[in-house]
Amino acid sequence: MPQVQVAIITHREAIMSETSSLRPPLVTGNKSLTDVTNDICAPMERRPNGLWWIAFLISLSLLILGIVAVWYQIVTGIGTWGLNKTIGWGFDITNFVFWVGIGHAGTLISAVLFLFRQKWRTAVNRSAEAMTLFAVMCAGIFPLIHMGRTWLAYWMLPYPNTRGSLWVNFKSPLLWDVFAISTYLLISAVFWYVGLIPDLATVRDRAKPGLRKKVFSFFSLGWNGSVRTWNRYETVYMLLAGLATPLVFSVHTIVSMDFATSVIPGWHTTIFPPYFVAGAIFSGLAMVLTLMIIARKVMNLENYVTPTHIERMSLLMLSMGCIVGLAYGTEFFMAAYSGNPYEQFVFKNRALGPMSWAYWTMVSCNVFVPQLLWFKFVRRCLPLVFVIAILVNVGMWFERFVIIVSSLHRDFLPSSWSSYIPSLVEIATFVGSFGLFFTCFLLFCRIAPAIAIAEVKGAASLPKQDDQRSVNVESAA
Amino acid sequence: MFSLSRRRFLEAAGFAVTMAAAQGCRREQPENALPYVVAPEGITPGKSQSYATTCSGCPAGCGVLASVRDGRPLKMEGLPEHPLSRGGLCAVGQALPLSLYDSHRLKNPLKEGEKTDWETADQEIAKSLDQIREKKGSVRLLTSTVTSPTLQQSIDAFLETFDDGRQITLDAMSSSSILAAHELTHGIHLLPHYDFSKAEVIVSFGADFLGTWISPVEFTAAWSSRRVPTPDHPSMSYHAQLEGRMSLTGGNADHRIRLAPDEYGATLVHLKKQLARKTGTGIATEELPTSPLPNDELDDLVSRLWAARGASLVVCDSQDVSVQTQVNAINELLGNYGKTVDLAQPSFQRQGDDRALIELMEDLKAGKISALFVAGTDLTHSFPNRKVLESAIEKIDLVVSLAEREDDFASLAHWVCPDHHSLESWLDAEPVAGLINLYQPLVRPLGDTRSILESLASWSGQKETAYNLLRKNWQQNIFPRAKDKPASFRTFWDQTLHDGFTEATSEEVAGEFDPAGITPPNSESRSEYCLELYQKIAFPDARHAHNPWLQELPDPTSKVTWDNYVCVSTTMAKTSGIGTGDVVQIASSDGAVQLELPANVQPGQHDRVISVALAYGVKGTERFAKIGPQWLEARPTVAQGEQVGKNAAPFIAVRNGVVDYLRSDVQITKTGSRRQLATTQQHHSLEVPKHVAPHGAEMREPIQETTLAEFSDDPSSGKPHLHHHEGGELWPDDHKPANHEWGMVIDLNACTGCSSCLIACQSENNVPVAGKDEVQRQREMHWIRIDRYFTGEGDDVDVTHQPMMCQHCDNAPCETVCPVLATVHSEEGLNEQAYNRCVGTRYCANNCPYKVRRFNWFDYPQPGELETLVLNPDVTVRSRGVMEKCSMCVQRINEGKIEAQRLGQSVLDGQIQTACQQSCPSQAITFGDLQNSESEVSVAMKSPRRYGVLEEFNFRPSVSYLRMVRNRESDATGSGGDHHTQGGDHE
Repeated sequence: MPQVQVAIITHREAIMSETSSLRPPLVTGNKSLTDVTNDICAPMERRPNGLWWIAFLISLSLLILGIVAVWYQIVTGIGTWGLNKTIGWGFDITNFVFWVGIGHAGTLISAVLFLFRQKWRTAVNRSAEAMTLFAVMCAGIFPLIHMGRTWLAYWMLPYPNTRGSLWVNFKSPLLWDVFAISTYLLISAVFWYVGLIPDLATVRDRAKPGLRKKVFSFFSLGWNGSVRTWNRYETVYMLLAGLATPLVFSVHTIVSMDFATSVIPGWHTTIFPPYFVAGAIFSGLAMVLTLMIIARKVMNLENYVTPTHIERMSLLMLSMGCIVGLAYGTEFFMAAYSGNPYEQFVFKNRALGPMSWAYWTMVSCNVFVPQLLWFKFVRRCLPLVFVIAILVNVGMWFERFVIIVSSLHRDFLPSSWSSYIPSLVEIATFVGSFGLFFTCFLLFCRIAPAIAIAEVKGAASLPKQDDQRSVNVESAA
Repeated sequence: MFSLSRRRFLEAAGFAVTMAAAQGCRREQPENALPYVVAPEGITPGKSQSYATTCSGCPAGCGVLASVRDGRPLKMEGLPEHPLSRGGLCAVGQALPLSLYDSHRLKNPLKEGEKTDWETADQEIAKSLDQIREKKGSVRLLTSTVTSPTLQQSIDAFLETFDDGRQITLDAMSSSSILAAHELTHGIHLLPHYDFSKAEVIVSFGADFLGTWISPVEFTAAWSSRRVPTPDHPSMSYHAQLEGRMSLTGGNADHRIRLAPDEYGATLVHLKKQLARKTGTGIATEELPTSPLPNDELDDLVSRLWAARGASLVVCDSQDVSVQTQVNAINELLGNYGKTVDLAQPSFQRQGDDRALIELMEDLKAGKISALFVAGTDLTHSFPNRKVLESAIEKIDLVVSLAEREDDFASLAHWVCPDHHSLESWLDAEPVAGLINLYQPLVRPLGDTRSILESLASWSGQKETAYNLLRKNWQQNIFPRAKDKPASFRTFWDQTLHDGFTEATSEEVAGEFDPAGITPPNSESRSEYCLELYQKIAFPDARHAHNPWLQELPDPTSKVTWDNYVCVSTTMAKTSGIGTGDVVQIASSDGAVQLELPANVQPGQHDRVISVALAYGVKGTERFAKIGPQWLEARPTVAQGEQVGKNAAPFIAVRNGVVDYLRSDVQITKTGSRRQLATTQQHHSLEVPKHVAPHGAEMREPIQETTLAEFSDDPSSGKPHLHHHEGGELWPDDHKPANHEWGMVIDLNACTGCSSCLIACQSENNVPVAGKDEVQRQREMHWIRIDRYFTGEGDDVDVTHQPMMCQHCDNAPCETVCPVLATVHSEEGLNEQAYNRCVGTRYCANNCPYKVRRFNWFDYPQPGELETLVLNPDVTVRSRGVMEKCSMCVQRINEGKIEAQRLGQSVLDGQIQTACQQSCPSQAITFGDLQNSESEVSVAMKSPRRYGVLEEFNFRPSVSYLRMVRNRESDATGSGGDHHTQGGDHE
């Protein structure tokens, strides 16, 4: 039996370490394993630079603005938003779906690409996972604060109570959301944390005795880098990846059911689950790209997040953009084919009605602009990719806005047709969610390695050490 | 040295205690609610009692049943037995309880604006009056129409004590020309009593008889009684409306012709001539100007009227006496007198006499008046030339106002002696000869006010209580007139008090038609513009401007709240570039009167007609600046230093001896600024905007209509050709109704859109007032709304009204989506909302296809502490963050069921009535148990006109509608399947 095990491990090693001269290297700059550790740990071991402080203070200010806005809204009422009798959801649920969507790339990159043995993922998976976590946090806030009586949000949980037979409504997609989002948050957090353990141990080992060492010792859970530890770790990681993969599809499927199970034309569509999942991955990739292009510059990680990585992400984004474009077209086809005049109206109204500007913003950003990525020089031109990624983020936000607001603003009875203008409080809350996201992300860059050290080392075949330099104790293989 | 013995100490202590006790013997308002020591008979705490009384909203004198609970009058309902109102009550009547609990009503008499007491007031007024009597000064009492025999007697008695004492009647909207015309043609100065229920053909020239003209509830009840075609009797009255502005009545007419008010005279002359030709009489001899109406239209009217002679009715709201004489001549030619136009039992609902008013104005100018009393009318909004009044007032020795509030005139008066609210006082009313109503007090006066009867008695030198005065007059004058000769006065009184009204004999008035009285209307050349001042449904006079319910009542035609505005036609809007919300200035040609108001582009308006509503810009309405929620971005309902709307009364002119509401000498200019109107409806057409309309679905069809001709052939005509749900459910019915299944049917043919149900619902269900800003944000809270759509080509539009409230769907889309089961289906077919459970996700409102759910965006502040007394204790006041909607008056359903159970019987049909249904003047709403196949609602459900809105989606609404039938030959004017729409889409 031991021989069999060894055989498997050897086979796996062979696959993992397989390199081809045709593929560009994953880590550039002739880095040794020691360099990898040094480079990635460096940003969190030195004092933050001015750029970080500026970014952090801006993010924190936005977060505080958002907190004030939310506090004011909870104290005063939902009326501080621009909603009305016809349009019951506006920025709130748009932002919710937007952030949940962003949160999808992390799991996709960590879990799905892991299962598909995409080694280039190692450069981005850590920050993508962190991003997922923070995005889901941002997303979770909106359903909470959009409730008229936030303080009773726990009524959404099916807990045993003394209120007679009062129970939650399992028919309601909003309840499904509660389960879907909380599960997703939990699994994402566990997945992210488990992936962090070997790297936390690396940081622990590099730290001088003191508080820092104690804290990292605690969180690295006594990691000792033994083969047995590695074996268990990889098994757990594989299992979690397997567990998280269906979530990539389930969460946004369930979010899409908030709309698909309703009766409102423009919402009541069976295409929504795949359409939403594709859109979510699309927006998530765009957000990862946005963040990584900034981070590699700011944190001097150009050799780890290389143009090759960016190019591959761009290709993924392009394919998702095409799927999303197909979905937009299918919606129109289905409306025309259904013979349902209300449905037909909604789509004509989307494209030509009073909110057509939002619709065309969405189509331009999500379908037209990403087509540029067919060209290799565009994919390898980081500023261009950055701009495209930002535009996709904008477009995907508008996608949710269009679905929610433009479907609601003109539904069945013309007497109730209405329009929507967000209030200042609403805008501040939206901006605040970005504040929360970036504050968390910037803190994350300071307290944990932004790139999975162990995985990068495993994926890229690098020389063990540089001849001229002294050897650091490596806890990673 | 002061020494204190024990005895001395006890004395002192005793004195102190006594004094302390004596100190407590002041008359104070009780601070705590105490139980009755001896409970009044028949009163169960928490259970409401209904008392029959009379509505004081306007002089129409509708009967009401006021429900009183624990000493508080809470709800006004129509008195079903009342011969005039027949159980209906308008929005204004419904809103009376809120004006009772108005904290801005005067609580005590005022002397020169300072608080005083009645004793001082009486003494000093009496002293001044004695001086006036000595110097034989002139005393004038200015009132609105007084229909009360007892008050009239008191007034007469009071004025008799002076050598020159006269009463002058000034109506908020005068109809004095009708009275004057009858004096010319019939020799009697009277307002005839119109009977629309006997009229098969109605031709109205501008008279908004379903909305504001003379006695709208009575007329609506009568009119609608002839508007219900059945398959067995496919007939209904024919109603043609010729008018300049788009009125509620015009919108309900079978045929509406746009005609400027200055063309009524010429049209009527032609009508009269043609009718005269038919009769063969030769009373039409004037030289005729060309008819403003095309010949075919005229011929059609003539032939219809002629065919229905004796059962037709021509009415007109013109203040031109000569025009009214033409109307009289036409009604005479048609033989309508004695049938649809009753002079023998005339109406007293409008008695304003403009000639007397004009004399008064001259006397005021000349400084001849020594004392002026004003009661029941707000001069700022009805007096033609207020400057005359203001400049004259200094020369008057004694100016007394009996206003309830410190209105404009009251602030000029030396004394303000506030009258009771009608729910606090004894009074009577004889709106129509032979029908006498009683008012009874339902609550102890909330302030130190005094009935006008008592005030007048006191100033006449004979102090007496209102109750005694009333009873005495009834014993002496009314009892002898009693119809069925009751045994004793006491029985008669008790019975009348119980019933709220009595029918009595009245002097038959005989008036013979005299063609000599007909005067030719002056054929002025037509001016560029014609300004028409009109009343809105909510404000038959300016007093009601203090009622926030009425301020937030969307106008049935424009759907605008909280403002008055300048209505202009779509053509005028196009040619002069005016859009809805553009502030325009209207000015008289001499520049003496100017007014800046936002414009409202009104489809159906005559191209030359500009119309502005009166009773706005009322003093004291500044108080509404902060009504509604106050938050970061909240805009005040009333801007700093302004009032709700602007007062258009300065445009009221005196012309040819009458107060005239038309002005031809006006100019309209665009100012360039904008002011957003607060409308509850933004899209006014059933047509989907053309560029986004799918082929074959250019129209939305929540309202179905047909013509009488088609209906006679096929009672189910008008049904759209849609793919209806073909029965058969995928899932078994998971909530089969148990003992009852409540349902409602609304007859769109009867509904006029008068909005009485809206206030009924607001009053019954504690619906908050949201304020202008919230309405602008499309967040008004009304549980029932009346959707109003314009359809038709060009400016000649058809108007449809559709009351829309929670449809209580059996397959309710709102129920499945609520995550916490806050909205569930009852076993009696109701869609119930549990406020306590609601967490406010608003998913239900999004998923409601009818958009009838209302969210509590804020905690809506009550206008004042006193105003909270108006709240119905049976209905929860909803807190911030919860969803609410029509409950089908579930509290009434439960009350009815409990009562039935107590009596050991089953719930009888008609025993439970929803608030909207109860007071509907046209009885358009039927409610009841669908499981009882005999019930009225079950019968209505079987009507071939029945349909459900959005039925094709299988929501299975419990509210059904009866298709509208217009009395037309075919769908020539654009109703039916393929019509185009003209309706502002202000987005």
